Amino acid sequence: MNVRKIVTVVDEVLTEGGRPVEPAARVAVVAAVIENPWSGQGYVEDLGPGIDAHASDLGALLAPRVMEALGEAPEAFGKAAIVGLDGEIEHGSALIHTLKFGDHFRTAASATTLLPAVEKRGPAGVVFDIPLKHVTDATIRSHHQSFEVRLPDAPHPGEIVVALAAAAQGRPQQRLAALSTEQ
Amino acid sequence: MTVELERPLEALGAAPELPLTWLRRIVVHREEVLLENGAAPAVPAVQASVAAVVRNPWVGTPATRDLASEVEAVAPRLAVELTDRLLSALGGVDAVEAFGKAAVVGTRGEIEHGGALIHTPWFGNLVREFLDGQSIICFADTRADAGESLVVPMWHKNAAATRSHYQTVSARVPDGPRADEIVVVVAGSTGPRPHARIGDRSTDPTVTAATAATVRPVSTHREDPRP
Repeated sequence: MNVRKIVTVVDEVLTEGGRPVEPAARVAVVAAVIENPWSGQGYVEDLGPGIDAHASDLGALLAPRVMEALGEAPEAFGKAAIVGLDGEIEHGSALIHTLKFGDHFRTAASATTLLPAVEKRGPAGVVFDIPLKHVTDATIRSHHQSFEVRLPDAPHPGEIVVALAAAAQGRPQQRLAALSTEQ
Repeated sequence: MTVELERPLEALGAAPELPLTWLRRIVVHREEVLLENGAAPAVPAVQASVAAVVRNPWVGTPATRDLASEVEAVAPRLAVELTDRLLSALGGVDAVEAFGKAAVVGTRGEIEHGGALIHTPWFGNLVREFLDGQSIICFADTRADAGESLVVPMWHKNAAATRSHYQTVSARVPDGPRADEIVVVVAGSTGPRPHARIGDRSTDPTVTAATAATVRPVSTHREDPRP
């Protein structure tokens, strides 16, 4: 797997709605910019060999890094695959929509739910929003959130950006009634 | 990249009090290049920018307004918050070789307001001291809507003319600056560009308008490190 660059973003929100957020709300993202394994091969019918070759390695690369960047136990998480303009969105989905990829993060985060995801194709510098949900119960409304990311020079046309996101809490100033109150 | 503030704000003297909400958001962006043009960098380097969104304390004040008292209150705190996170992202003060700074002023402010926060000693001298540098800190500034991506220039923290260390890193806050905010950035790098090979002042021939057509650049050929 050819990794060109690893980008880490750590975000702290200290004020929201004009009031302090204490402790600061923290979100971390780690993104790997990789060569699209199917680049230049035309339409590849069976993506399985490429998935087997790369998906687990990618998960193993990103999971410990995003855990370290957040520096505390994740309460919400998500993932992203942003495919360069010469690739198929299916290529990005192939790499992230497999347990081989996500289990590295689920294990590290003591998580039990599936990772919510964004898949998108775009030019270098495209803005994308990673959805995050609670790591053990995807219905916990306070933890539904998304995080905006932009990498200035990725993905190139033959690349894919694969990312993991972790939040140490729900939304800053979250104060919505639980889903159960409407059932 | 978890940050423990190394320099308590009290140590900076009797800086005036600020409202609790003076600082809204801090975004750390860190880049590690593993391959550039297909080859691993000869000297691997990590770049980072740290961007803080603060309230512009001068919105609505006239162009003649003295800016000093708010500079004294805000700039030292920013220097601490930004450099602590930068050092955490880059692996400590000894690892930092290049630095830069920047400001993005929201649309109700003056560029001068950004300059007040980054170009005065209450910020610049402290950033230089905390990053253990000697050089003037190079900079960029602009006025823009929220989400503007700014390219922050950097050069060597002790020898600004070191050509291998001329480089940039991006900084961006998705929802900042609002019209009444300023984004203030400190950036750093642990080394040179991935494949720096354009010589230096020490190797340059003398080039003038009269000699440029005949003087040849010094060869900077390197062996291809790829197997």
